[in-house]
Amino acid sequence: MISKFKMTVFAAGLAAAGLYAGASQAEDYNIAFFAASSQNGFNQAIYEGIEEKAKELGNVTTEIYDGQFNAAHQYSQIEDVLASGKFDGYVVMANDTVGIAGAVEQLVAAGKPVVSTLFPIGPDLTTLDPQVEGLTSTVASPPADGAKAQAQAVVDHCKDRDPCNVVIIIGQLIFPFDNLRYEAFREVLDAHDNIKVVATGEGSYSPDVSLTAMTDILQSNSDVHVVLSNADQHLVGAEIALEAAGYTVPDLYLSGGGAANIAITAIREGRWDATLAYFPKTMGSMALDIVVKKLKGEDVPSSVNMDEVGPMPFIITKKELDASPDFVGEWEQ
Amino acid sequence: MTSVLSSARIARFFQTYAVLIMIALLIVALSLMSDSFLTFRNLQNILNQNAPLAIMASAMTLVIIGGGFDLSVGSIFAVAGVSAAWIALNVDPFLGLAIAPFIGLALGTMNGIVITTLNIHSFLATIATSMVFKGVAILITDGRLIPVRIAEFTWLGRDKIGGIFIAVIVMIAFAVILTFALNRTSFGRKVYSVGGNEEAAILSGVRTDRIKIATFAIAGMAAGLAAAISVSRISMGQPGAGIGMELQAIAAVILGGTSIYGGAGAVWRSIAGVLLLALINNGFNILNADPFYRDLTTGLIILAAVGISASGQRR
Repeated sequence: MISKFKMTVFAAGLAAAGLYAGASQAEDYNIAFFAASSQNGFNQAIYEGIEEKAKELGNVTTEIYDGQFNAAHQYSQIEDVLASGKFDGYVVMANDTVGIAGAVEQLVAAGKPVVSTLFPIGPDLTTLDPQVEGLTSTVASPPADGAKAQAQAVVDHCKDRDPCNVVIIIGQLIFPFDNLRYEAFREVLDAHDNIKVVATGEGSYSPDVSLTAMTDILQSNSDVHVVLSNADQHLVGAEIALEAAGYTVPDLYLSGGGAANIAITAIREGRWDATLAYFPKTMGSMALDIVVKKLKGEDVPSSVNMDEVGPMPFIITKKELDASPDFVGEWEQ
Repeated sequence: MTSVLSSARIARFFQTYAVLIMIALLIVALSLMSDSFLTFRNLQNILNQNAPLAIMASAMTLVIIGGGFDLSVGSIFAVAGVSAAWIALNVDPFLGLAIAPFIGLALGTMNGIVITTLNIHSFLATIATSMVFKGVAILITDGRLIPVRIAEFTWLGRDKIGGIFIAVIVMIAFAVILTFALNRTSFGRKVYSVGGNEEAAILSGVRTDRIKIATFAIAGMAAGLAAAISVSRISMGQPGAGIGMELQAIAAVILGGTSIYGGAGAVWRSIAGVLLLALINNGFNILNADPFYRDLTTGLIILAAVGISASGQRR
C-alpha cells in the first residue's frame, strides 16, 4: 500500500516535472523585425524567412516594423518599440548602418539579443565582426567581397578581348555600401589594361532610372561589351536600352546583383550572364534562429557570412542553374 | 528715352524667355563638349525619356494656373501603373494600357471633389490623398513588382511611328490639346480667372468648383497616361514608381515661368522646364561626369534661370 502510494507520488512528481519541462520548452518569444522598408520585396523576403522559422520553432511570434527607407524614422521606431517592452529579441535591417548604432546600443543595454541582417552595423562595412559591443550577431554578405568576385568574372570574360568596354551601373554613390562596391569594381577592373570602364551611371535601384542612364551612355559609347551592376533592377533597364540601341543582348556579358527571380529567369534564358547571390529568406531564417538560440542560452556565432552558407554559390551563372534546375530566387525584386 | 525703352524691352524679353535662354545656352555648351549630344537620336531620346514627366507637368500647369497644387500625381502614377501591369498580365495587355488614364481620371476627380466639398487647400488635401493612393498601389501589388514581359504591352513605351517614338507623339498631342483648351476655349479662360481672382470669378458667374475639379481630373488623367507609357517602356509595374514625380512636375512648371500664385502661365513653359532639367541629366550621362556634381549643377542652373526671370521683374 505504502509502496503504491509512493509510486503514485513519484509518478505525479514525474508528470509535474514533465509538465514543467514542457512549459519551459514552450516558452513564448516575441521577436520584432525592423525592416528598412516593409514595402520592399527584399525586406519582405527576409521577413518571410523569419516567419517560416518562427512557424517551424512553434513558440515564436513575430512582428515587422516599417523603416520607410528613412534612417531617422527607423531610429525613433526602435526607441519606441523598446519602450513598449513588448519584445524579447530583435532583428534589424538598418537604413543607416552607422547612425543606427546608437539605437542598437539601447537594445543591447536592455539585455535583449539583436541580430543585424544584410549589412554590419558600424562604420566599417568591410567586416562582419560586431562593431557595437554586445551585438549578438551579424548575418550578412561583405559588400566588397561580392563586388570583387563580380569584377573578377568580368576580367575572366574579357581575357581575349582588347579593348573590353565596360559600363558600370551602380545604385547611388552617396550610399557608403554602393561606394564601397564601386571602388571594389574599379580596383579589380583598373588593374587590367585591356579593360576600359567607358562609363558609370547611377541606377538608383530603379529599372526606369537605369534605362535613362544606359540610353544616354549608349549615345556616346557605341561599342559596349559588358554591363556590370550591383543590382538586378539596373539590368532590367539596361537590357531595354541595349535592345533599343540595336545590340543583341545575349552577345554581351551582363552581371547584376540580388539573385532575384527575374535575374534567375534571364540567366536561364541566356540573356544575362551572372548575378551576385543574395538569399534574403535564408538570411531572415538564420537571424531569427540566432535570436531564439541566444534567448535559450545557447551558443551562437558572432557573424554569419551569407556568401559561404547560402543554398547556391554566391556568383550564380547558367552553369550553376543548369546544375540546380529546381532553384528559384528567394525574392521577386 | 529710346534706350530706356529698349533696355526695358530687353529686360522683359529675358524675363519672359529665361527658361528658353537657359536651354539654348545648355544646348550650345553640351554640343561643344560632346559630339554625341546634338544628334537626332539623342534629342529624340531626351524627349522620349521625359515624355511621362512632360505630360504630367503640362496638366499640372492647369492646376497651378487655377490656384491649386497637386501633390498626389506621383501616387496616382503608381496606382495607374501597377493596375495597368496587373490587368495586362491577368486580362489583356491593351486593356491594361487603355485603362490607366481612366484610373487617373477617376482618382483626380476624387481629389477635386474632396478639395471643393471639404473646402480645404489642395496642398493639404492632396498630401492626404497621395498617402491613400500610395497605400492602394502597395495593396494591389503586396509591395512587389509586376513584370509584364508581353510584346503587346511594350508598343506604347518603345515603338515608333515614322521614326518618332509613340510616347513623344502622345506627349506633343497632349500638350497641344491642353494649350488649345487653355487659350482657345471658355474653359481655359475660366481656369485663368479662378486662379487670378477666385472671388471675382464667382461674382462673374463662374462655377469655380467645377473648374477646380476639372483641373485636378485632368492632372489625374495625365498621371495615368504617363504611367501607361512608363510601365509599357520598362514592362513592369512598380508600387514605388512615381515617388517624387509630383515635385519634379511642379518644379518644371514653376521653372518654366508659370506663376506659383495662379492666374498666369502656359503649357509650353512647363515643357521647357522639363527639358531644361532633362538636358542637365542627359549631359551628365553623356559626358560621364561625376554624379556628385549633378545636384550642385542642377541647383545652380535653376538659380540662374530664376535669377534671370527675377532680374527682369525688378526692372
